[in-house]
Amino acid sequence: MGGFVDTLQFVLVPQVINGLSIGVAVILMALGLTIIFGLLDVINMAHGEFYALGAYLGLSLAAAGVNFWLMLLLVPLITAPVGYALERVLIQRVFHHKDRHILTLLLTFGLSIVLEDMYKGFYGPQALSAATPIDGASEVAGLFFPNYRLFVMAIGSAIIVAVWLVVYRTSLGAMVRAAAFDKNMASSLGVPVSHVYAGTFAFGVALAALSGVLLAPIYSVFPTMGKDFILMAFSVVIVGGLGSIKGAVIAGLVLTQIQAISSLYISPSWTDPLVFAIMVAVLMVRPQGLFGRLGHA
Amino acid sequence: MKPSFARKAIVTALIGGFAATASAQSEPIRIGVLTPLSGTYAALGQQVKWGIELATKEINDAGGIMGRKVELLFEDEEANPSVAVPKAEKLFQVSKVDFLTGTVNSASTLAVGQVAERNKRLIATTVSFSDAITGEKCSPNVFRVNAKAGQQSAALAEWLSKAKPNAKVFYLGPDYEMGRSTVAAFKSAAEKKNAQTVGEVFAPLGNKDYSPFFGQIRAARPDVMYTSVAGNDTVRLFTQMSQYGLLKNMTVVGASGTVTSQNVNAIGKAADGFVTGVGYSVDIDLPENKKFVAAFQAANKAAPDLYGADSYGVMYFYKAAVEKAKSTDTDKVRAAMSGLEWMTPQGKKTMRAGDHQAVQDMYTTRMTDGKFKILSKVPGEAAIGPDTCTKF
Repeated sequence: MGGFVDTLQFVLVPQVINGLSIGVAVILMALGLTIIFGLLDVINMAHGEFYALGAYLGLSLAAAGVNFWLMLLLVPLITAPVGYALERVLIQRVFHHKDRHILTLLLTFGLSIVLEDMYKGFYGPQALSAATPIDGASEVAGLFFPNYRLFVMAIGSAIIVAVWLVVYRTSLGAMVRAAAFDKNMASSLGVPVSHVYAGTFAFGVALAALSGVLLAPIYSVFPTMGKDFILMAFSVVIVGGLGSIKGAVIAGLVLTQIQAISSLYISPSWTDPLVFAIMVAVLMVRPQGLFGRLGHA
Repeated sequence: MKPSFARKAIVTALIGGFAATASAQSEPIRIGVLTPLSGTYAALGQQVKWGIELATKEINDAGGIMGRKVELLFEDEEANPSVAVPKAEKLFQVSKVDFLTGTVNSASTLAVGQVAERNKRLIATTVSFSDAITGEKCSPNVFRVNAKAGQQSAALAEWLSKAKPNAKVFYLGPDYEMGRSTVAAFKSAAEKKNAQTVGEVFAPLGNKDYSPFFGQIRAARPDVMYTSVAGNDTVRLFTQMSQYGLLKNMTVVGASGTVTSQNVNAIGKAADGFVTGVGYSVDIDLPENKKFVAAFQAANKAAPDLYGADSYGVMYFYKAAVEKAKSTDTDKVRAAMSGLEWMTPQGKKTMRAGDHQAVQDMYTTRMTDGKFKILSKVPGEAAIGPDTCTKF
């Protein structure tokens, strides 16, 4: 009995809470992906590199003496125009082509390679560490949790709720959903569709960059860091339903918990294949994912 | 303007016709350097590149090898065997390199060794730790100039048995060839010295979050943890362990590749107290090492680590072998390399003929304020262990 309590307290509970903290990180990444896909019908392969962009920008701002809390505001403000410009200059060029899926996929994939090499060129290939803005650990029932992880879970959940409210409860969100549902109808009703497209892409980029700043103190910063969450985020988006915010949140939580708990009993190396197997199974049984698309549900 | 390919080919053919007899002497010796220039092990590849470039410059400035200049051809291995194999094939068959070095990932070294066998060429690794490379999976075409996991473990286990008698040890390694073999090697060495194993776990290479393993570590209540993660993985492991308060009351020991000059700045204070068994330290008190460290520092604005030192050493190993063989022919150079003694920043090394493993003095070092300080020294013969290669 003592052994069971010990296992519960020292192994199972921390595992679930850690799974939650990873889950929040994955959902933050998946949100931007799924919103961009839901509206623009573009699979953004460079999403991970925008996450890295946020982390590197955070490092540069920190080196310039900018306070971490100000950074949380500044980084999205700096990266959103970058995303806006990229959508107008690059994606719009191939957007109306009949091979849009392939072309935008290749375009953003190419962009990801260019960005990754730029980080390598400017910052070097080695890992850099970002200072942890909140030090120390809290002891809860004999267990240590770093305060910063608790903070990231809290602020991450707040961001997820905020995104939800913006998309489903504001007139801005209504315009986005209208453009996603029927762009011709939305356009004829006065919705500036091309700006909504660019703005949504910018929003996705800013969200990825913000996650980069938030997660850098936990995961450190290096050129290929964009690859860390991207496969998991894609799996979450596919299982949850391409374009569904609710789907991304639920699938994100479920898949990361499956990974966290299963890694106690099987080799952690096998938890990724497990998630991909679930993704394959979902694609076979319910190709549209668990939940519907943005603007359709 | 670049000359067209056809024009180049004609010119080359014309010159070739006249100079065919002389070309074998004056043509440069081509050495392929297949090393990770991007990804998790990019920092290790950087040291390999710096070490090899420094030695090559010295050799070329002193007149080359038997009067022939050395030319380096770099390819990015990405620490991935499936990338390394086609690139090795390309270096051997298209670039016609005489010799190949630089592989970091042990699985890449093993895979590229087979490519070398098919192409009848020789390779040497300067970084890979896996005992199998010069043990059960040894190859007549593969040499290792750096210390293997077994040599490092022998030195570290010796120190541990004195500093922490009967320690309770937990093992955490990356889940591939090198991780599994380093953990196995240290475990057997430590258990022979009365250490007790309380648990082991393997994490994927490039793992982003180690906190899911901390529950198991806590439950096992170890007083020593051994790890052989490397590169960016170490930054995350140590940072996260420190954030979770795991570094209190626990001594962390590990493979020599775990904490290096390339990642120690990113790890920061969390690396303090880390102890490792290693074949190189900038503090080694030898004139060869002092000269090497000064030249390396001047050329690269960074201190060398064991990879830089061993990669520097491999160029002199190849030079000594070619000069002894008086040829770059594979069979003659192989014969010359077997039993070869040559000078390196670590002093004299001997290439054991039976398994192609370099024999060298070993050290244990402890990280203190961002620098490794030597704790103890184990003579080469005491750390090398038996020759288990049966293939040649």
